[in-house]
Amino acid sequence: MLEGAEFYFNVDHGYLEGLVRGCKASLLTQQDYINLVQCETLEDVKIHLQTTDYGNFLANETNPLTVSKIDMEMRKKLCREFEYFRNHSLEPLSTFFTYMTCSYMIDNVILLMNGALQKKSVKEILAKCHPLGRFTEMEAVNIAETPSDLFNAVLVETPLAPFFQDCMSENTLDELNIELLRNKLYKSYLEAFYKFCKNHGDVTAEIMCPILEFEADRRAFIITLNSFGTELSKDDRETLYPTCGKLYPEGLRLLAQAEDFDQMRRVAEHYGVYKPLFEAVGDGSGGKTLEDVFYEHEVQMNVLAFNRQFHYGVFYAYTKLKEQEMRNIVWIAECISQRHRTKINSYIPI
Amino acid sequence: MAAPGLRAQMDSLLLQLLRDLEELEAKRAALNARVEEGWFSLSKARYAMGAKSVGPLQYASRMEPQVCVYTSEAQDGLQKVWVVRASAQTPEEVGPCEAALRRRKGLSRTPEPESSPAPRDPLNWFGILVPHSLRHAQASFREGLQLAADMASLQIRIDWGRSQLGGLQEKLKQLEPQSA
Repeated sequence: MLEGAEFYFNVDHGYLEGLVRGCKASLLTQQDYINLVQCETLEDVKIHLQTTDYGNFLANETNPLTVSKIDMEMRKKLCREFEYFRNHSLEPLSTFFTYMTCSYMIDNVILLMNGALQKKSVKEILAKCHPLGRFTEMEAVNIAETPSDLFNAVLVETPLAPFFQDCMSENTLDELNIELLRNKLYKSYLEAFYKFCKNHGDVTAEIMCPILEFEADRRAFIITLNSFGTELSKDDRETLYPTCGKLYPEGLRLLAQAEDFDQMRRVAEHYGVYKPLFEAVGDGSGGKTLEDVFYEHEVQMNVLAFNRQFHYGVFYAYTKLKEQEMRNIVWIAECISQRHRTKINSYIPI
Repeated sequence: MAAPGLRAQMDSLLLQLLRDLEELEAKRAALNARVEEGWFSLSKARYAMGAKSVGPLQYASRMEPQVCVYTSEAQDGLQKVWVVRASAQTPEEVGPCEAALRRRKGLSRTPEPESSPAPRDPLNWFGILVPHSLRHAQASFREGLQLAADMASLQIRIDWGRSQLGGLQEKLKQLEPQSA
């Protein structure tokens, strides 16, 4: 069987691949970041961003300019580009895009449920939901009391429906259970996405599967790290780990038993990919945190995705790189607005 | 002659005042540093968790206090201010700011174990699995609280000291023309 991506890909998806590569070329460069770091106020940041591909995206904002406004406008811009790609896509790329939006949908659902717990108005939260994760049944999420209500009443028509298999329990939705629900949904989603990419085969599988494996392992590490000192039991913790990564099955079992950072590090040392990452983590408040190190590694993998042609990974990689750029700009803007310039260079250049 | 005695009193009062002022400045600098640290750790948490996960959406508009401010009279007549964690109290010591916080099962004299659910840790507003930067932020803000209470007590002492000094200066002025 001929692995013929290069023969068939451009028929359906060539235009969009060309477009996304053009968009990728307009990401901020090192020089842009140096200019941004030298700004004194958020107005300077706005002026500098006007010279980049962002253009006048903040032109309609009234004073005072805040970091969250910048973040929201950047997000809207990314959403416009993404929607353009999505509207012009054909199968199976459309399913790929749908999978990409599921993670944002999960975040939005959890945000809405938390808001219901805090008795906030739905409108307030809808305004803050991630635009890429919009779906029509969003307003109804806050009426659900248990996960099965949520599923039967609201989410059964959405793409999130298949991910609810492990989450159907009769527990009421308080914070612990919402967090568990979030992580379980994400685990099912990641495993389904991984299977989709693997079944697609071809260059897409070669590029996307390592990226998704890393994502799964990264989630396992971060869940473990953040659960030290909380009331989450080890068994519960183990049920939250996605199983589509390199750590499955032995690593995940060891990780579930870990009780502090050093034990986690020892688990990571068994794996050639993760050992250097853990060695790069600084200790205490001086050096990089584990999350920073993971973000850097993700950026490297996403940049490498552009070296191959005729696969869907470029779209995923572009979205993730754009998100990292947004995180960088927000970080620089926060450092400037809080006048705390010591760590302003901790962004990750692309 | 009362003047030397008055002068000595004024000197010691002035010295005490200057010491208090120095302590106040030091505490103020420490408080500013803690608050800045706290906000910066919040930004780091936003970086790790996503900008929308750490913000006004996560807390309710009405919340119950975890920490209350108390004042009391010390022996020299000055008010002292301190902060007390709400959960550390026994039912008899409930102060006026906690009307909604505890459900007392009758005014028993013996200290009871906690009869009402403990107030939720604000850290859990952001989920169960929070990054360490958020915990650092909470720790910084907590230290800042204690400093703020100390600063309030110091400020009261300084104001009292200044008024005392003013009074002594008046007395001295009255004595001086008489002795001249």
